[in-house]
Amino acid sequence: MKSAHALLTVIVALACWPSAAAERTPAPEGAQVYILWPRDGQVIPGGNLWVRMGLRGAGVCPAGVARSGTGHHHLLLDTDLPPLDEPIPSDRNHLHYGGGETEARLEGLSPGKHTLQLLLGDQNHTPHEPPLYSKKITISVP
Amino acid sequence: MKKFVIAVGGLMVLAASLVLADATPAPANAYVYIGWPNDGEELEANKPFRVWFGLRHMGVAPAGVKHANTGHHHLLIDTDLPPLDEEIPSDRNHLHFGGGETETLLELPPGKHTLQLLLADDNHRPHKPAVYSKKITVYAK
Repeated sequence: MKSAHALLTVIVALACWPSAAAERTPAPEGAQVYILWPRDGQVIPGGNLWVRMGLRGAGVCPAGVARSGTGHHHLLLDTDLPPLDEPIPSDRNHLHYGGGETEARLEGLSPGKHTLQLLLGDQNHTPHEPPLYSKKITISVP
Repeated sequence: MKKFVIAVGGLMVLAASLVLADATPAPANAYVYIGWPNDGEELEANKPFRVWFGLRHMGVAPAGVKHANTGHHHLLIDTDLPPLDEEIPSDRNHLHFGGGETETLLELPPGKHTLQLLLADDNHRPHKPAVYSKKITVYAK
């Protein structure tokens, strides 16, 4: 009976072990995420633009699909990097491209300065280990 | 028994033709283009340069992944579009990017060359309607 109890404890422990936060997807070696367009400091009349999302040394794959050497883009708008060991928030400052999109359409950005930064997420929207993110750039809408 | 065999045979032929005819649909506004280099660009011969694959209103998925409104890129070099109702050939004129890549490094010998992108579904077959870019010309010098 005692051994059955011990076995149950082990089973419960194993079931709780692989928490999503603890097991991050390894980043492909040498992979690099960058914003191809717009350029840092670019002026965007009208506040409408396509952001071209660049990825080197890795591939794009829709969210929910496990495939090594891939991820999907997240565009951070006017915000800093979120915690890198948990799923990326989904809100107006953290835009998800879970359909495997490689360009992001932004419309109606208000006049003033805005920051853009890319962060790649794995099939569960969690950044890789090490995380793959671009330089944060600033654009301005006159 | 004979009738049964004929019926089964007929169903198999029907099933096969449905599989062949069943091209993956693409949205009407899907747009694939070569973001770099530009049409007419002069490049240094035998030196790697980047080709950037542009895609709007659709997403990228690795080959073998079935996901609505996605495909993977194929770069056609110095060749015309292949037949659009069958699998894209895989050779030095038809480069496959089945890992979901969205750019590549390319090196060309001196001369005039053409580049064109053609998107394909999880089975390397073009969508319906086919999603392909303008064919551009670059000069390696």
